[in-house]
Amino acid sequence: MLNEILSALQSVATLQNLLIMIAGIWGGVIVGAIPGMTGTMAVTLALPFTFYMDPVPSILLLVALYKGSTYGGSVSAILIKTPGTASAACTALDGYPLAQQGKAGKALNMALYSSVIGDFISNLSLIFFAAPLAILALRIGPPEFFMLMLFALTTVAGVSGNSLLLGLVSAALGLLLATVGEDMYGSFRFAFTPDMQAGLSIAPVLIGLFALPELIKLVVMRVAKKEKAATLGAQHVTREEFMGSLRSILKGSVIGSVLGAIPGIGPSSAAFFSYGEAQRSSKRGSNFGKGELEGIAASESANNGACGATMIPLLALGVPGDVITGVMLGAFMIQGLTPGPLLFQTNMHEVYMLLIGMLISSVLLFFAGKATMRMFAKVSYIPQTLLTPLVLLLCIFGIYSIASSTFDVAVLLVMGVVGFGMFLLNIPAAPFLIAFILGPMLEENLRRAMAISRGDPSVLLSTPITWIFAALIVFALGFTLRREIRKTKTERQVAQ
Amino acid sequence: MSKPVLRGLVIAAFFALTAFALVPTFVPRPAFIPGFAPPPDMWPRAVSLIGIALGLLALCLALTRPAAQEEPVETDGSSPWRMGLRFAGLVGVFGLFLLLIPYLGFLLSTMALTLVVVLMTGERDHKLWIFLLSFVGPGLLLLFFTYSLGTQFPKGALTKPFGF
Repeated sequence: MLNEILSALQSVATLQNLLIMIAGIWGGVIVGAIPGMTGTMAVTLALPFTFYMDPVPSILLLVALYKGSTYGGSVSAILIKTPGTASAACTALDGYPLAQQGKAGKALNMALYSSVIGDFISNLSLIFFAAPLAILALRIGPPEFFMLMLFALTTVAGVSGNSLLLGLVSAALGLLLATVGEDMYGSFRFAFTPDMQAGLSIAPVLIGLFALPELIKLVVMRVAKKEKAATLGAQHVTREEFMGSLRSILKGSVIGSVLGAIPGIGPSSAAFFSYGEAQRSSKRGSNFGKGELEGIAASESANNGACGATMIPLLALGVPGDVITGVMLGAFMIQGLTPGPLLFQTNMHEVYMLLIGMLISSVLLFFAGKATMRMFAKVSYIPQTLLTPLVLLLCIFGIYSIASSTFDVAVLLVMGVVGFGMFLLNIPAAPFLIAFILGPMLEENLRRAMAISRGDPSVLLSTPITWIFAALIVFALGFTLRREIRKTKTERQVAQ
Repeated sequence: MSKPVLRGLVIAAFFALTAFALVPTFVPRPAFIPGFAPPPDMWPRAVSLIGIALGLLALCLALTRPAAQEEPVETDGSSPWRMGLRFAGLVGVFGLFLLLIPYLGFLLSTMALTLVVVLMTGERDHKLWIFLLSFVGPGLLLLFFTYSLGTQFPKGALTKPFGF
């Protein structure tokens, strides 16, 4: 095992890989720092470029973008009170008041230190827990896989957006779109044109769904935010300030690692949970929301702490925990690697390379963040009216270059319109994407299970593992419904 | 008609169209299916039926329960008609872009698309940046993809003599 780790370390620690990771982290921080641009967008925009790279560097680039954008979200949250990503919303609560007090640099530094520590701990959890989980997963067959994927889908549908019902509708739309093309027995489904016989590629669907609706919103609604960025001011975090927040950083890192590993939870929920916990347990809890460094530490350590952990279900089970890991699942598959338990048997070298690369990228995040803090402060000031058309341009060139297909460009544009329609109807996009990616595997496992059982549907509840997943599905649905009923009651009381 | 009612109707109608019109027409059943394997239309039909049920549930909830608070959509204050016109215009521009590629080639079409889209966002202040983004940006991207990655972009029937 040591030999394999050393060999993987040797393969990762090349100048090319280090440059790729630095570029990914920088790119991620820049995109994350721009309000309206998300980590998902950063990863999806980079996807076409990874087609020409080897598998591990391409995944490392996407992971670096993910980490960079999660930290980058805090830059605009602190400087202009506009979180670049949803997971940085808590950071704005204390970051912006600090910026107004002339301590923006201090807030950005604390966000960076907390992000790096959270990220490092999260990567360690990935290294320790992914392999055992994968070994356990090797014992499961098609019925168990079907139930597992159904569970992941239900959870994502439940936690995305404001309504379980609309999350499920979105998932159903994604499942339906995934059936376009040739099925496992050679029948063509919904092949309206010859191009559609091969099915819809993942890249144009997901890029269209996540990147283009922002442009359409800007053209149709014409709401471009123009905030004045604060100056960096006081920069250094003192030893006392850091030690005073260390407990919350460690606690946030653990919260992020645990919640990130559960499909459907993701960095945003982890950040809110950690912030609430830090506020409850801190001596300076009453100061939270008024410019408290510990608040930033709690939020940032948790949201970056969830980054590595979201890779646990992806690598071990082949189940993406959130949208970004959904995109990465697509990237893995495009590169000929199938995440799941078999990956740990067939591509162990690549897995070690990935894990080591992720640890290295935590360290690079620190240096990249430090070196370019002043530049990032200016990035959050780029007008959206120029930025979003640039995104469109990159999307079109990137998508065309993947398969030299104008049809894919058409799919990209159509999915942008579909994404905008879903936004208007308040239907969340995340379950759609996860369902679109998981759909073929979900169907294949269902059909295999039915074929094995000679058409008996009770095979889906025939083993203890399937019962556990069925119970988890019922629990997830029940929990979400309870939350929604409570929310409706509160809204009614407020209205009365 | 309130937004939740419209949403329920749209969802139910879409999945009904799929289940009762598209699946029977565009998902042919093969003459022979090995073993006990379910036919190819089983999955899309099942998903569509679940979709209809979800749509009807959304409709019922919208009709029977008081309107839940939905996040208002932020706009510049334009009328819905005007915004609809902008949306239709953008969809038209996308369609036109795809239609123009065989005639003008990829480069000129993307230049035209970018310029029109930037102007449609209402941007008029940064003229130099608009020019660079619309005309230099596509050129640089074309060079990058052509020389670094070997991508061959389509040339237009009208612009082929000029090399793009």
